[in-house]
Amino acid sequence: MKTVRIFYEKRGRLKFVSHLDMTRFMSRLLAKSKIPVWYTEGFNQHIYMNFALPLSLGFEGLYEILEIRLTDDGYDLNKCLEALKGVAPPDIDFISVDEPVTAMKDIGFATFRLDFDEIDQGLAKSLTDFFESDSVICQKAGKKGKIKEFDIIPKICSYEINGNRLILVVVAGNEDNLNPTLIMNAFFEKTGISPPFYTVSRVAIMDKQGNLFR
Amino acid sequence: MDTKKFEALLLSVQKPGRYSGGEIGSVIKDKQEVDVRFAFCFPDTYEIGMSHLGMKILYSQFNSRDDIWCERVFAPWQDFEEVMRRENIPLFALESRDPIKEFDFIGFTLQYEMSYTNVLNMLDLAGLPVRSADRQSLSPLVVAGGPCACNPEPIADFIDLFFLGEGEEVDLELIDLYKKFKAEGKSKKEFLIEAAKIEGVYVPSLYELSYNDDGTVAQITSNNAPATVKKRIIKDLNSAFYPEQLVVPYIEIVHDRVVQEVFRGCIRGCRFCQAGFIYRPVREKSSDTVNRQAKALCENTGYDEISLSSLSTSDYREIEPLLGKLLEWTQDSHISIALPSLRIDNFSDELLEKIKHIRKSGLTFAPEAGTQRLRDVINKNLTEDEILTACKTAFAGGYTAVKLYFMLGLPTETDEDLKGIADLGQKIVNLYYDMPNRPKGKSVSVSISVSTFVPKPFTPFQFEPQIDEQEIRRRQEYLKSCITTKKISLSYHDSATSFLEGVLARGDRRLGAVLEAAFKRGCKFDSWNECFCLEKWLDAFKECEISPEFYANRLRSFDEINPWDHLDYGVTKKFLVCENRLAHEAKTTPNCREKCSGCGAACYGEGVCFENR
Ligand code: SF4
Repeated sequence: MKTVRIFYEKRGRLKFVSHLDMTRFMSRLLAKSKIPVWYTEGFNQHIYMNFALPLSLGFEGLYEILEIRLTDDGYDLNKCLEALKGVAPPDIDFISVDEPVTAMKDIGFATFRLDFDEIDQGLAKSLTDFFESDSVICQKAGKKGKIKEFDIIPKICSYEINGNRLILVVVAGNEDNLNPTLIMNAFFEKTGISPPFYTVSRVAIMDKQGNLFR
Repeated sequence: MDTKKFEALLLSVQKPGRYSGGEIGSVIKDKQEVDVRFAFCFPDTYEIGMSHLGMKILYSQFNSRDDIWCERVFAPWQDFEEVMRRENIPLFALESRDPIKEFDFIGFTLQYEMSYTNVLNMLDLAGLPVRSADRQSLSPLVVAGGPCACNPEPIADFIDLFFLGEGEEVDLELIDLYKKFKAEGKSKKEFLIEAAKIEGVYVPSLYELSYNDDGTVAQITSNNAPATVKKRIIKDLNSAFYPEQLVVPYIEIVHDRVVQEVFRGCIRGCRFCQAGFIYRPVREKSSDTVNRQAKALCENTGYDEISLSSLSTSDYREIEPLLGKLLEWTQDSHISIALPSLRIDNFSDELLEKIKHIRKSGLTFAPEAGTQRLRDVINKNLTEDEILTACKTAFAGGYTAVKLYFMLGLPTETDEDLKGIADLGQKIVNLYYDMPNRPKGKSVSVSISVSTFVPKPFTPFQFEPQIDEQEIRRRQEYLKSCITTKKISLSYHDSATSFLEGVLARGDRRLGAVLEAAFKRGCKFDSWNECFCLEKWLDAFKECEISPEFYANRLRSFDEINPWDHLDYGVTKKFLVCENRLAHEAKTTPNCREKCSGCGAACYGEGVCFENR
């Protein structure tokens, strides 16, 4: 048995497939591809699948990772990739299939790209002021419905405004996560700016050292 | 429409996957390259519509032709409807996101009466006048089929033409005629007159109903159209079109699996069951065909479950060889098989042994009535002994949960029959505890689900009155009082919905006005308890000065003209009358394989009527 990671992009109409639905979708795709995937044992047997990070509904994912296991250690990974490409619907692109480099628990950050129709000077300034502030306290409903307060600023590692794009690197992984929608909602609430339309893409996942997670 | 804006709007509603499209197996074509665009509309939610086999078959079949592009449309849930109305988004098809108003055909499948207001609402959302007479141009043509088309009168004012029976052949004949008439620039009226000549096509505007003083139908006259319209069937299911690919939804739907049809029709003739009469005669697929079709579908969809579908799968003559063939390849591919609607009277040990390896959950029986007398009345040829024996075998095989389906309000039903339901449940519970070899340490659960009987056209009970709501509730209470153990759980259908269903099922064309009035009052998704509002409906009846009780609660004489008497489903009225008489004598009728009862369906020259008995 051999563990491998599938790297893919999820775009277009597939943005509306939730994380839970992705699990079902991927298992059907894997079944169709006839790759020798490993099934979990026990009463309710299913294909072993481990997604690196869940992706919010409506986001595009340009660096998505799914881990599976192959029952045949010698199975050619290029063949695996070709098999997946052969069954993929239009809005998913399989990029590569590789052996894991870093452990899943070492995921540390994710990079998001937010595309606005226009970031004019005013908006750019407000954004800069916002990200440069010392702290922004947000609320989140924690376990048992308890409201938890926390500061989002330390969780944002970097921001960059590039034309009509805002690039954010935020903490991600098992222990901590920050959703860009939450950041933007806090921004709009704090500044009183009425939210313009924007799209979100997750473009990279990094390990705790800041290297691309593989 | 602007994709970005559309997608932003989708994110503001529940389950955007209902409207996003792009599923595997969905068909995208170049609209410039096709001659006919068909919007296949299911007047309920995506999850329900996507589970429907008939839609899957026709979708694939239409799209197998280069000149037709068929797309799917479902009723948007209220949250998205609000967005659509606010943002002026007309009802669109999932594949192209083009407004269906621009299509050549808008086709509805009518699976239950309670979806009629959704049909009107969808036409309105599309930006079309709801009434057929107000839509003057040839296209879009609004067509409909499905079981409710056997009495389409209540919805006839809104639909240009109906398909009676099975659609695979007649739909394409109609589309070909349409192509010709469109090319020649003919009018809608000219087209409809010509279409009415196709067997199985009913054009309601070419028929007129007149009424007697007592409200019953006096006469049905046709104008430029045949006096009766005969339903169509597919004679040979082995050679008929069947899809090799399905649209596989991303979001979870009701039947999220390969649904594999094994036969059409039912040999049984339970007297309350409309499907058992309107789909006659029984026509089977060979086990090779079923196996081949199921295998192709699994390979192309990646589904890990097959459910064998028919009205009564254990009546399939080749069930054992079929299961053998399926098990040969499904086990290795981690595919499971589900067998719904098994009847217990031919639940053999061997079969049970086989399905033991297949699936162990849910043992469901449908005795439908609580006493032998009433089961004889409804021709459910099933004895208490058979039920108990089957339960015994099942318990020995490790089952501990039994689900029983019954109907309340059947013709001739008395309190004794209701008590019989509770008694049967109790006997099953006792049987379990009397068994030395019952599953250790587990308790038994018997769940009894009771729906309200609704008399339907083309059944022997089409003449019968439906009991009124007050009486339904009294009987429900009485039944509840008969159950004394916690091992039995009891659930009911909403009685108000059944009443309206009964009205619409046997209604005539005058109900069109009521339907429109109800729609204008905001009625939609009537089959959903959280949406159904009887008051609005009653107001609509009042406004139109029509009594719903006239349709639901009245006993009809055998010689009364029914609003569906000009439609021919093979089964003769004479046969239905004879069956009704036998019912009142509590006499049963043998099934089609034991003995042909001459119902009339042999006129199709195919199927069980010509098997060697
Ligand atoms: S004609 Fe006879 S065999 Fe054929 S469907 Fe009717 S009762 Fe059954």
